[in-house]
Amino acid sequence: MNVADTIAHHILDHNWGITLGGISLPITTHSVIIFSVSVVLLCLLAWISRPHTSRAGRLLTTLLEEYVSFIRDGLVLPNMGAEGKGFLPYFCTLFLFILSVNLAGMIPGLKTATSNISVTAALALCSGGIILYSGLKFHGVIGFIKGFVPSGTPMWLVPLIFPLEVISTVIKVCVLAIRLFANMLSGHMVLICLLLIIFIVGQMKFSAGVLSVFPAMGLEIFMTCLELLVAFLQAYVFSLLTAIFAGSVIHTH
Amino acid sequence: MEDLLKPDIGVMILTICNFLLLAYLLKRFAWKGIIGALEKREQQIASDKQQAQEARADAEKIKAELEEKLNRLSEETSQKIAQAVALGQTQREQLLAGAKEEAERMLAQAREQIAAEKDQALAEVRDEIVRTAVLAAKQVVREDIDASHAQAAVDRVLNEIKQK
Repeated sequence: MNVADTIAHHILDHNWGITLGGISLPITTHSVIIFSVSVVLLCLLAWISRPHTSRAGRLLTTLLEEYVSFIRDGLVLPNMGAEGKGFLPYFCTLFLFILSVNLAGMIPGLKTATSNISVTAALALCSGGIILYSGLKFHGVIGFIKGFVPSGTPMWLVPLIFPLEVISTVIKVCVLAIRLFANMLSGHMVLICLLLIIFIVGQMKFSAGVLSVFPAMGLEIFMTCLELLVAFLQAYVFSLLTAIFAGSVIHTH
Repeated sequence: MEDLLKPDIGVMILTICNFLLLAYLLKRFAWKGIIGALEKREQQIASDKQQAQEARADAEKIKAELEEKLNRLSEETSQKIAQAVALGQTQREQLLAGAKEEAERMLAQAREQIAAEKDQALAEVRDEIVRTAVLAAKQVVREDIDASHAQAAVDRVLNEIKQK
């Protein structure tokens, strides 16, 4: 196994090869991690949101309320206005889900499912669905389509502007997926490459390999801290951009 | 490595189903309660704030009314004090005038009395002088008197007068 294969083995998703009636089921490492994270989140949040008598329970409930306030006052209401209040549960779930999946990759033995383009594309499609639903809900089909053309645009420019705006919206959704995928993937690739420095140098000379442990581990710790930051940042950016795009559809030009 | 950019439709569908189901279940079992409690608390805070503002406005209104009443009472008190002072001054002047009048009256009365007593004394003295003179004259007429006798007679008369 060469270096590229080692990196690919760590980064790429692995199909578990489970079939049902001859059809291969998409049971992969990433999908299992996503499912596990979902179950943990569901159980944990359902338990926290229950009324508690213990101090720790009340503290967790207060923390969750603060989180909801942060999403509502920092993401949803400033970008979508009062109309976005109905979407608050979706954004609360979106941020926490992406963050949890990002952080799951930091746990030894688990993988970062958001470094899989299929997963980020699925999340971006959900966000695209929310953007589409927002437009249709508040403006209707005709109003939503009209919203792609800024008011005051000369009629002769409409055939040019309309496809551009539609493509722009589609690209925005695609970029959501690519941004999250690329950021999470690159962080993990850098982490693996830093670890591989030790083995590559060690193959050349064993003592040099041993000595290279210290700078490599220092860089590894630094990159892990950076990865933690990126995990939060990307979850926030994905949620924020979804709210901004949905808000721009609700409050058209 | 080329598989990195190859989307797996199965995983995509599974992720979408997984995420949407999670969003629905969390909305039902977690966010609903949390958001409800949060909104209820915010409404309670807004209501308490509103009540506090109303109470403050009421208190300020009552304070203004009390200050107005206090000012009015102060003005009334000042007026009453001024009236009392004026009344006291008038009464003082009246009393002084009365006392002065009474003193003058008493003085006049005393003067009258003194004059009357003086007149009376003068009349008495005059009567006594007349009587003494008459008595002395009688003595002079009755005795043949020489100078020593005359002197003795005068002395006797004077003694009588003194004794009286």
